[in-house]
Amino acid sequence: MFRVVVFLAITILTGLALRFSVRSARLAIGFGLLGLVTVAIGGYLGLVVAPPERDMGDVYRILYVHVPAAWVGLLCVCLNFGACVAYLFKADWGADSFAEATAEVGLCFSTIAIVLGSIWAKPTWGVYWTWDPRLTTYAIMIVSYSAYLVLRGFIDDPERRAVWSSVVGIIAGVDIPIVYFSVNWWNTLHQQQSSPQTVSKPMVLPLDVSGFAFLFVMICFIALRHRIARARRAEEIAPPEALPSTSREAA
Amino acid sequence: MTPHLTQLVLQQAPAAPVGRIVGGWGYVWACYGIAWSGMALYALSLWVRRPKRKEPSP
Repeated sequence: MFRVVVFLAITILTGLALRFSVRSARLAIGFGLLGLVTVAIGGYLGLVVAPPERDMGDVYRILYVHVPAAWVGLLCVCLNFGACVAYLFKADWGADSFAEATAEVGLCFSTIAIVLGSIWAKPTWGVYWTWDPRLTTYAIMIVSYSAYLVLRGFIDDPERRAVWSSVVGIIAGVDIPIVYFSVNWWNTLHQQQSSPQTVSKPMVLPLDVSGFAFLFVMICFIALRHRIARARRAEEIAPPEALPSTSREAA
Repeated sequence: MTPHLTQLVLQQAPAAPVGRIVGGWGYVWACYGIAWSGMALYALSLWVRRPKRKEPSP
C-alpha cells in the first residue's frame, strides 16, 4: 500500500512538472540539466560510495541504473495510458501529442531497463534471458508500445491516428499492473519490489538519487518530445492558405 | 570418503567467500555505458528533430 501511495504521489507531482515544462522549453532544459547533475551524483554514489553487496559483490551496482530506468519506463506508460483516455474523452491535440511523447520516452527507458537487466542476469542467474513472468510481461509491454508507435507512423490522417492509437494505448496499458504485480502473483526469479525497509541504508541513497535523476531526465525528454509532436500536428492541420503557392510563382 | 580424499577436496576449495560474486566490473561498466549513451543518443535525436520555427499558440 505504501508503495502504491508513493507511486501515485510521484506520478501526480511529475504530471504537474510536465504541465509546466511542455509550455516552456527553458524549464524542460532546466530539468534536463538538473537530471544530468543528479545522474553524475547518483553514478558516483553507486559506483564509489556504496559498499559491495553480500552475495552479488560489485555486480549489484547495475541495479542503480536498471531499477530507475524500469521505474521511469513504467511511469511513462502510465502517463501514456492517462493521455490516451483523456484524448478519447476530450479530443484534445495536446493529449494526443503527450501520448506520443510518453510512449516514445517510455519505450526508450524500458528498452534500457530490459537490456541492463539482461546483463545483470548473466553473472547472477547464469543466463541473459529466461521466460520469467516479470521479464515476459515486460517484453510484451515493450512490443506493445513499439506497435503503438509503428501504428502512429502508418496513419496519415491526424484524427484517425489519434483515435486508433489511443485505443491501442489503452489496450497496451492493461499490461502495466500485470508487469508490476507479476513478482507477487507468480513464482519468479525476479525479486519482489524493494522498499527502504528491505534495502540496507547505505544502499538506499544511491538508488533514490538515481531514481530522481532519471525522473528529471524523463520530464525533460517528454516535454521536448511533446513540443516536436505539437509542431508536427500544427503543420499537418495547417489550412491550405498557409502553404506556399507554386502556381502563382509559375505564372 | 577416506581422510586423504577429504583433504584433497578441501585443498581445492576456493579462497574467496562461498556464494559471493567476485569482480564483474565489466558488466557494471557495460550497463552504465549503455544507460548513459542511450540517454545521450535520445537527447541528440530530440535536438535533431526540434521544431525549426515557432509553434502557433494553442
